[in-house]
Amino acid sequence: MNVTLAVKQYVTRMIEDSGPGMKVLLMDKDTTSIVSMVYTQSEILQKEVYLLERIDSQNRDNMKHLKAICYLRPTKENVESLIQELRRPKYSVYFIYFSNVISKSEIKALAEADEQEVVAEIQEFYGDFIAVNPHLFSLNLQGVARGRSWDPTMLSRSTQGLTSVLLALKKCPVIRYQLSSDMAKRLAESVKLIITKEYELFDFRKTEVPPLLLILDRSDDAITPLLNQWTYQAMVHELLGLNNNRIDLSRVPGISKDLREVVLSADNDDFYANNLYLNFGEIGTNIKNLMEDFQKKKPKGQQRLESISDMKAFVDSYPQFKKMSGAVSKHVTVVGELSRLVAERQLMEVSEVEQELACQNDHSSAQQKVRRLLRLPGVCELDAVRLVMLYALRYERHSNSVLPAMMEELAKRGVSEKYRKMVHSVVEYGGKRVRGSDLVTATDAVAITKQFLKGLKGVENVYTQHQPLLQDTLDQLVKGKLRDALFPYLGASSLRDRPQDVLVFVVGGATYEEALCVYNLNRSVPGVRIVLGGTAVHSTKSFLEEVTMTTGNISDRAGEGRNLSRR
Amino acid sequence: MASSYPPPFEGTGEVKEGFICPLCHKDLQSFYQLQDHYEEEHSGDDRHVRGQLKSLVQKAKKAKDKLLKRDGDDRADTGSYESFYYGGVDPYMWEPQELGATRNHQDYFKKHRAARIDHYVIEVNKLLIRLEKLTSFDRTNSDVAKIRAIEKSVVPWVSDSDVPFCPDCGNKFNIRNRRHHCRLCGSIMCRKCMDFVPLPLAYKLTSGTRESLCIPGSPGQSQAPPSGAGASGMGSRRGSLTSLSSVTSMLEEKDDEKIRCCHHCMDTLLKRQLKLEERDHMPDIVKLYERLRMCMDKVDEKAPEYIKVAESLNAGETTYNLDTAGGLRLEVTKYYELIDALSKRILTLGMKDDPAPTPKSLHLQKMIRYTATLFVQEKLLGLMSLPTKDKYEALKEKRKQEQEKKLQQERLAAQESMRKRQESEKNRSVATTNGVVPPALKPPRMTKAGGWLPSADSKKTHSELKDPLLQQIDNIQSFLRQAREAQRTDEVAMLEENLRQLQDEYDQQQTSLAIALSQKLAQEENLQQGEIQRLEARERSEWEQRAPAADSRQPSSIWECSLDLGEPVAGYVEEDKTGEVTPKFERSPLSLRAFPALAGQEESPPRLRSLGGHVTPPSSEGPNSSSLNPFEEEDSTPTEEDPSNPFFEDIQEEHKEVSNGKKEYNPFDDEEDNGGQEEPAVTSLGNPFEEESSETSNPFTEASGDSPGVSTNPFEGDEDAGALADIDMIEEELLLQQIDNIRAYIFDAKINGRLDEVELLSANLRELQHTLQEQKKTH
Repeated sequence: MNVTLAVKQYVTRMIEDSGPGMKVLLMDKDTTSIVSMVYTQSEILQKEVYLLERIDSQNRDNMKHLKAICYLRPTKENVESLIQELRRPKYSVYFIYFSNVISKSEIKALAEADEQEVVAEIQEFYGDFIAVNPHLFSLNLQGVARGRSWDPTMLSRSTQGLTSVLLALKKCPVIRYQLSSDMAKRLAESVKLIITKEYELFDFRKTEVPPLLLILDRSDDAITPLLNQWTYQAMVHELLGLNNNRIDLSRVPGISKDLREVVLSADNDDFYANNLYLNFGEIGTNIKNLMEDFQKKKPKGQQRLESISDMKAFVDSYPQFKKMSGAVSKHVTVVGELSRLVAERQLMEVSEVEQELACQNDHSSAQQKVRRLLRLPGVCELDAVRLVMLYALRYERHSNSVLPAMMEELAKRGVSEKYRKMVHSVVEYGGKRVRGSDLVTATDAVAITKQFLKGLKGVENVYTQHQPLLQDTLDQLVKGKLRDALFPYLGASSLRDRPQDVLVFVVGGATYEEALCVYNLNRSVPGVRIVLGGTAVHSTKSFLEEVTMTTGNISDRAGEGRNLSRR
Repeated sequence: MASSYPPPFEGTGEVKEGFICPLCHKDLQSFYQLQDHYEEEHSGDDRHVRGQLKSLVQKAKKAKDKLLKRDGDDRADTGSYESFYYGGVDPYMWEPQELGATRNHQDYFKKHRAARIDHYVIEVNKLLIRLEKLTSFDRTNSDVAKIRAIEKSVVPWVSDSDVPFCPDCGNKFNIRNRRHHCRLCGSIMCRKCMDFVPLPLAYKLTSGTRESLCIPGSPGQSQAPPSGAGASGMGSRRGSLTSLSSVTSMLEEKDDEKIRCCHHCMDTLLKRQLKLEERDHMPDIVKLYERLRMCMDKVDEKAPEYIKVAESLNAGETTYNLDTAGGLRLEVTKYYELIDALSKRILTLGMKDDPAPTPKSLHLQKMIRYTATLFVQEKLLGLMSLPTKDKYEALKEKRKQEQEKKLQQERLAAQESMRKRQESEKNRSVATTNGVVPPALKPPRMTKAGGWLPSADSKKTHSELKDPLLQQIDNIQSFLRQAREAQRTDEVAMLEENLRQLQDEYDQQQTSLAIALSQKLAQEENLQQGEIQRLEARERSEWEQRAPAADSRQPSSIWECSLDLGEPVAGYVEEDKTGEVTPKFERSPLSLRAFPALAGQEESPPRLRSLGGHVTPPSSEGPNSSSLNPFEEEDSTPTEEDPSNPFFEDIQEEHKEVSNGKKEYNPFDDEEDNGGQEEPAVTSLGNPFEEESSETSNPFTEASGDSPGVSTNPFEGDEDAGALADIDMIEEELLLQQIDNIRAYIFDAKINGRLDEVELLSANLRELQHTLQEQKKTH
């Protein structure tokens, strides 16, 4: 149940299958991202893969002394490119791996193109997803929905991605989905269809408790992606943007050339691996320790290199030192930039109000605070809008809602029309009308007690009091208490016991906050292994884009009607 | 786990006794304490047991791990995070993962390809056969009509009236746009859509098939013209063109030196030709690359071996010979140089060629060079240096002393614990009927994580075994038994591998030990012989003077102690004695100890001591040297065996210091003098580190054209990368580099005081400089 390892093993196997000799790895756009998430360049170089090429690139030369490993998604274009490639082979021998199920007819077409007999292997290796963390995967899809239903190409890509995760982890699951979401149901059915069709592939060793696939919809919890984050990974994604584990720092003032783009990968960055899920304060302490460590190890000019043994010690520790200095400068830069942004955007204050909006139930205080912040000049456009969005979602049906006044404030601040429209889009996307379970207010007695107890205990950290809805859902799930009425099983089979291996997929994208919550569950509940996935991993910005793309079409079409009903 | 843990076999007869925890080397005073300790501390962490096994054969690795782990722990202490798990997964909670599902389309693919290939091969062969027929007669000397007839007999031509339009371009045939027949398939094309097979190409293509294909009845297939024939007879038939044998041929140009064919056939033929060419062509880069990989494999094989040896030597152990280690070191460094040189050659490959290599192949070369640099960096830095001869002696001495101290400590501890144990035994015997029950009652040996513990029966044997290796072997054997019982084949395999390695090592130790012992004994024997003769003479005179005394207490002399083995009975059995002492190389210390006991001497302890001291040290000091007395330094604490122990580093350090002082050669004393020497060393050392650290952690970028290695490439600073114009230059470059390297080695060797190596290297250097001179001359 480690998705990173699963992909890595696939890639390793491909490379090893081709035997010794110089190799080139031929990929398409998607598989390049997939492979780059699990292998670093130096790692792959050590395996004799010296060139990385795109199958669709035109300027590849004839290099008959190279072996080609092709890792491609089985799309029409890729198959066509490959056919052309085989007709006039540029490399001596081809090891072909498709990242998903490929049709017989396409295999036949390829076979007929291979007149020179250069193909040595042709297999399916199901690494058709981006493995972000060992327990988190993404499909990097933006705008999967049109209104309340799937974009057909997105549905098929999501189905492929999800089934490939199942195959890579060797799980043939029982499927549950969120009843309130039509998209979740469609995806569940689509996955089920594939499992039935490719029953031979899904014929794995039966476990006592079958694995579970739970399909959720983002619109059920639109609040989580709107909050500012304070754990390292989530914060970096929210403020700087993590794209395939890479952050673009080119906009940072005074950045040095080699830090324009840095890689944050838990696989080969110990500091990152250890601090991924720690909050900003803890990271500050740790980065201080890292610096101190570094300074301890750093040779202090000439004076320390007095004797040969000093010199030897320096040389012995040099690679480690070098590596460390890279890590230190990287993380110091990143954390420095984060704290600059926090100060500049007054994120502490903003976040405090966000958390209050999300977790507490005091309308008058909340609206006062929001309005106060809206008047502050330092608060940036995005933060102002997200506060109003949170308010709108939270107090959508409140009798004293001051939303119109807030919208006016936004307009006064000069917030762009685009953003102001988004407030309504978000409500439309994730408002009460849509939500299946109640996101904010507790309904049953147990939940009310829980909330009450929480209130008594006080809050440990104002900035991280919010728990995503997913936490609650999964909590109930692992206790075997998730209600069948809200999350029905697909088909006849159902789970008697508590689940052990759980795959959660969020249509519309997951967030790093949810990844953290899954991580904590994995660690705290023995015997349960949960992997989280989503059509994307969202920051507020990307989530708002998703919302715009989703609701855009409808608003155009049904804008008239809705406006009428509002009035 | 009551296991005594003696120090590595040195032949000294020392036994480390007491109750040492096999996992953490903590000395626990009694058996029960140890057992409690073990149950408390180590019951959960079986992986340490496994790590322990490996550590014996992979000390270097373990030391590194330890270091890293310590780093992590430090940070965990200071930092506030509780986890050292990897990004979201507790690796011990989640079971190891097998490769995900796969599906192989090979068979289906091959089936379809085979059908296609068959078809393709038949097509190609058909064309080749026809081509052969067309070229097998003497085209130059036949007239057009005859050629046409032969051509028509090879393949039936499509009749003109059937094809009103060119099938390829669709143009209408008329008087200006004439029909042309493909000589290979008989089809009709217009002039623009026609191709020609030049005769040389035709001969080349058919030369391979001539032997393999047997076409019955084809004219002249046996007498194939030599490949040059087509070219030689070219000009001679020009005149015959004027003869108008048919309307179609009237306007045709001379096509005697080439064969008209359609481009479909041409395509097929060209593909075939390409394939033929590639079959025997092996580019230089492949040859170089293969050698490079071979060197890398060698390093992978030799480097761990060397590291093991060097570590053992640096710890002052006598398992290995210093000289062979030096040889091994030289060998490994040679391979590094070779890797460096080869990868540089690959980098500059084709720079001098006229059509410069394509950007892609340049990139390939760069990446290979980069990988080689990474490899050298990674492996070369793990190579520790060897101690010098003097230092080594000092190390050995030091180590021996420590072990004696330790031994003494342990003896005391053992006695102590024995007492305690006896006491507790008494106490216990009241409670439990049998004192041995607790260990037997221990829960099943296989714990949840699936590790093995040494079985109970091995406990008893441990105390008797003299060698930690033997003990380890024993442990592993018992693990093996348990693993077999549990039917864990993978672990059995691993353990067997371990066992084999340990046994090898043990054998090696035994041999070297035996050799050392025999040398010692030979020396001793010589000494004794002389002494005995002297004494014999003296005693004989005494004998004659006095009545023989049964209890012969000898007067104290300097020699007495060392010789008292022989002395007491010297009068009776001189020959016997020497015979007994000398021939037994592998005589265990026990038997030596037993000997005096047999002799029934009162002063056996000091004698034993002197013997123990005498057998081991190679020092020229007299056997009476009291510094070796193990009883004198009881206050010092025993040290651990682990060579990764910082203590050993201290020793090394100390010795380094000592030897440096002794040599009077401190490179940093006179800076002007050494400035020049230092430089090559620094550059050669500094060179491999030119890597950008961010590079290593940089996953490849997506842009296919813009390769990631380019921007932060380590070679950009390499001034010779582009400068090399010809192979001589490369050779010269290599030579210069080699000279630089050797200078650096000389410097290194001087620093470490390995004068022999310095000499060797200097000779090498002279030779190289000579070659360089010659090279320059010829150039």
